[in-house]
Amino acid sequence: MIDTLCDQARGGIAVVGLYCDFRVQQEQSTTCMLGAILKQLVSRGGIQEHIRDAFQKAKKEFGGRGLLLPDLMGILKRAIAPLERVFICIDALDESAPEHRRELLGSLREIIRVSPNARIFLTGRAHIEDEIVKCFSEAVRIPVSPTQDDIKSYLEMRLDRDTDPSAMDDELRADIMRAIPAEISEM
Amino acid sequence: MSSGRQWSGNFGSFNVNSNNIFNFVTEIDGEAHQILQWLSPLEPPKQHQDVRIGRLDGVGNWVLETAEFKKWSDEEDGCDEPVLFCYGNLGVGKTYLR
Repeated sequence: MIDTLCDQARGGIAVVGLYCDFRVQQEQSTTCMLGAILKQLVSRGGIQEHIRDAFQKAKKEFGGRGLLLPDLMGILKRAIAPLERVFICIDALDESAPEHRRELLGSLREIIRVSPNARIFLTGRAHIEDEIVKCFSEAVRIPVSPTQDDIKSYLEMRLDRDTDPSAMDDELRADIMRAIPAEISEM
Repeated sequence: MSSGRQWSGNFGSFNVNSNNIFNFVTEIDGEAHQILQWLSPLEPPKQHQDVRIGRLDGVGNWVLETAEFKKWSDEEDGCDEPVLFCYGNLGVGKTYLR
């Protein structure tokens, strides 16, 4: 999704993203996740003076304090405002910790409320659909499942990368290519 | 960096010439580096590069052809619903949508 949006993007359009990962769930706090989005916008547009000032101030206090959510949100909204459009793409939202996810969704809702130029793309497993609808009642939802062609392409790639090709022959390959897509379509 | 884009409905190809996904600060002075780290230790652009490398051409591109996606990505300010949610089981390829 990110690559498609980037290819379409004109000058004033920013595409930023985030990958949630259950293996580092606790390290992906709400401020870290939103901070990562802000970081990409800042990397793209340059570090403005008010961000440098906030950093310098934070550095002097208590050996360098991190940003708290309200301050971070203020800076983030300010970074989004001048852009023509901002696409925020968040992958595998279901892999974030539930308490962080709630806060993240609430923050995204706040961004949408004040930033008519913001668009949000989310992926995740179906069980978080309720949480998303609760936050964004009109969210457009697309169920994703692989097509037969997708499955065949994937199988071919895996067979081509087989590390033990001596165990494979044309007949077995043909069997696999027939049986697995058929099996999946019956599921 | 905007040159050489391969758009024109050629969804199935893997001609990813635009590398402006996340424009890193090119001349990172010491302070800029510290500020970026202060904003967040996470590095989504690195993960994104892994996703690009692992992507299989054309798989899932039908999503990008849906009216829902086109409307969401094209619409001007003040669109009715700025949120798009793609959902499905683990391993169906949501992460690898191009």
